[in-house]
Amino acid sequence: MEPDTVFATLLAQIRDVVPELGAHAFARSDSMADLGVNSIERSEVLLLTLDALGLKVSPIAFHGARNIGELSDLIHAKLAA
Amino acid sequence: MPSSPLDRTAPAVTGIGIATGFGYGKDCFVEGLFGGRNLFAPLLRSGRQPAPGEKRFIGIEVPEPPEVLTRRIARTAGLSARVSVAVVADAWAEAGLDEVDPTRIGLVLGGSNLQSRELMLAQKDAETRGRIVSPHMGYAFFDTDIAGLCAERFGIRGRTLSIGGASASGAAAVIQAAELVASGHVDACIAVGALQDLSAFEFEALSLMGALSPGDRCRPFDRAHDGFMFGESAAALVIRRGDAVLPGDAYGCLTGWSHISDGRRGPEPSLEGELRAIQSALQAAGLQPGEIDYINAHGTGTPLGDDTEAAACCAAGLTHAPVNATKSIIGHGLASAGAVEVAAALLQMRVGRLHPTHGLENPIDAGLRWVQRDPLDATVRNALSLSFGFGGVNTAIVLSAPETA
Repeated sequence: MEPDTVFATLLAQIRDVVPELGAHAFARSDSMADLGVNSIERSEVLLLTLDALGLKVSPIAFHGARNIGELSDLIHAKLAA
Repeated sequence: MPSSPLDRTAPAVTGIGIATGFGYGKDCFVEGLFGGRNLFAPLLRSGRQPAPGEKRFIGIEVPEPPEVLTRRIARTAGLSARVSVAVVADAWAEAGLDEVDPTRIGLVLGGSNLQSRELMLAQKDAETRGRIVSPHMGYAFFDTDIAGLCAERFGIRGRTLSIGGASASGAAAVIQAAELVASGHVDACIAVGALQDLSAFEFEALSLMGALSPGDRCRPFDRAHDGFMFGESAAALVIRRGDAVLPGDAYGCLTGWSHISDGRRGPEPSLEGELRAIQSALQAAGLQPGEIDYINAHGTGTPLGDDTEAAACCAAGLTHAPVNATKSIIGHGLASAGAVEVAAALLQMRVGRLHPTHGLENPIDAGLRWVQRDPLDATVRNALSLSFGFGGVNTAIVLSAPETA
C-alpha cells in the first residue's frame, strides 16, 4: 500500500470524527491536538484508521507521533512489516 | 416535604418537551392523544430483530430527533441521549431557563440501562471487527452521560444525576426534581423521563416472563388485556418554585407525592404498596379522595398489574374520578413513562379534555369511571398520576391546576 493511501485513509477518519474539519486543508505537519481534536477523538481516529486498513495491532504502538504525517508513516511501516 | 394545596411555593411545571411515536412537541402529542390513530406496528430498529423464524416485536418507535447537537457531538450520542437533548431543548426554551443562574439549575435523568440496544450492537460490531473502535463507549455507557450531555449542551451547573425506578423512573425523576426545588437546592430542575432503548434481548426476556403482550394492540383495563406493548417516548419537565412563577406560566403544581417500596424485588405488584402510595400522596397534598378529578393510571395492560391498580384506586375511594391510560395510545416507554404521563395529565388539564383509552371495551372493574372510546370534557383541579416499577417501586403524584394550588 502506498504511503499516500495511508495518509488519505487517516484524513478520512479525522473528517468523520470531527466534521468541522471537513474543509480543512491538511498538511503532514498538522497535529490533531492543535486542531482541537480531543484525546478520545484522537484515539477513535487511530482505531478507525487501523480498522479501515485491516491492521490488527495495538494502538499503543503508535504513541509518540508528533503530527499526522509521522502517524501515517508509523502506520505505513506497520503495514509493510 | 410536599406542600399544602394553598402553598404558593408548591413546585410548578413551567416547561414541557415531549417525544412519542407521534413526533416531537406538545402539539402533535395532544393531537395524537385525541386523534384515534393506532401507531402500533412491527419494530424496525436494528438490534430489535427477533430470533430466526419468530415474528417481529410490535410497538412504537419515535422519529429521528431534530438536530440540537453539532454533528461532532451527535455522532457520539445514542438515540436515548439525542432524544433527551431534544425534549430538554423544548422544555428549556418554553420555561425561559436562559434567564436563570446556571448554578441554580439542576437536572434529574429518570432511567437506568437506557441504551441496551446500542450496547448490544456495539458488542456485535466489536466481535466482527475484533476490537472496539469507539472509545466514547467508555463513558457513554453510563446513563449519567446523558445528564452530562444535557448539562454541556445547555450550560447546567447545579446538581445533575440519573435515577432508576424501572417503569416508575420518570415519576421518580419528577419527584426528585420537585424535592430539589422545594428544598432550595436549586431554583429550577429539569426532570427527564429518558427513552428506554430496548434490544431484542430485553424484548425476549420480557416476553418469556409474560409481561409483554403477544398481540398487536395494548388493552389496559380491558378483559382481553394480555400484557404491555412497548412504545418509545421521552419527556422533560421544567420544575420551579411556585412563587417564582407568574400566574398563567405554569401548567400545574406538584402539590403532593409519594415514592415508597413494597420491600421486595421482582415484577409482582402490591395492592398494599399502591394504596399506601396513593393515600400518602393525597395526605401530602392535603386532599380528600373526593377532590381528585382525574386519574392518569399506570395502566400497562398486564392482567395482574391492571387488576391490582384498579383495586388500589377503588380502595382509595377514587371510584368517582375519570381514569384513562396513556400507554394505550403511545405504548409503554418504561423509563420514560412516569414523566411522559405527568406531562400528559398536565396537558389534558390545560385543554380541559381527557383522552380515550384505546382498546378498553369491556372494563375489568365496573366500579371505576373509565374514559373508554370517547374523550371526556372535564375541568380538572386536581389529578393523580400513578407509576409503578419492578422492584417494588410505587409512586403517586398529585397535580393541581395553578389556580387551585
